[in-house]
Amino acid sequence: MTDDLAERRGMETNVYQPAEDSALLAEAVVDHARGRFLEVGTGSGWVAERAARDAEVTRVVASDVNPHACESARERGAALRAEGHLGIEAVRANLVDPFRDGAFDTVAFNPPYLPTDPDNEWDDWMESALSGGESGRKFLNPFVDDVGRVLADGGRVLLLVSSLTGFEEVVARVEARGFDHETVVQESYPFETLSVLRLTRGSASKSAAEE
Amino acid sequence: MKESLMDILCDPLDKSDLELQVTERDGDEILSGTLVGTVTGEEYPIEDGIPNLLPPDMRDDE
Repeated sequence: MTDDLAERRGMETNVYQPAEDSALLAEAVVDHARGRFLEVGTGSGWVAERAARDAEVTRVVASDVNPHACESARERGAALRAEGHLGIEAVRANLVDPFRDGAFDTVAFNPPYLPTDPDNEWDDWMESALSGGESGRKFLNPFVDDVGRVLADGGRVLLLVSSLTGFEEVVARVEARGFDHETVVQESYPFETLSVLRLTRGSASKSAAEE
Repeated sequence: MKESLMDILCDPLDKSDLELQVTERDGDEILSGTLVGTVTGEEYPIEDGIPNLLPPDMRDDE
């Protein structure tokens, strides 16, 4: 019992738990995820679970750098499978590094995005789940740079963006990488506006050719 | 991890193929083993059913 409690406390302090941003990403995932689905930085695996339960997906893979998050996602996957749903396949990974070219039809990411003073970082798993470095885009930028590689033809990215991270800067990065983008859900809170951008390829390369 | 995960995994260092070495299996679930980069020779552990494909320089912070 005490062990159980200790373990649960450990999960609460070591793994990011679902919040407003997770709920918004899940909403976008349920409406827009298709086919082979990857969630990068899955945390507790809550969004991946929503994909497995409610989205038109054929496979759910969840990755995180945090081993506690991977365990949490794998446990959720086992419980889902026992209920007859798709499971969640957990992979410990940095962004999309260990995935093959064209492996996914949908990739979702809620990056750690809080801009953080480098002198003020607290250096544990929760910090790495929240902090996006000085700009707030420490993980978002390399993700946007590489995610196109793992997308299959006609694939899409669902990317959560906070106004704290700099919406315009994110859009500029996304456009520089040749993606079309559309805001599919948006919600305002007292200190930030959260949006989910859907990124696609296709007409972007066409319009680039036309110019 | 399921063996079918091999279809979508590659070596994080150079995106080359991985070779699966199974130590412990439960049905179609691989509980422990090693993924070996066929080009880099780098070894990535599978522990408690989870493959650890972090690049070597990120792997030590448990």
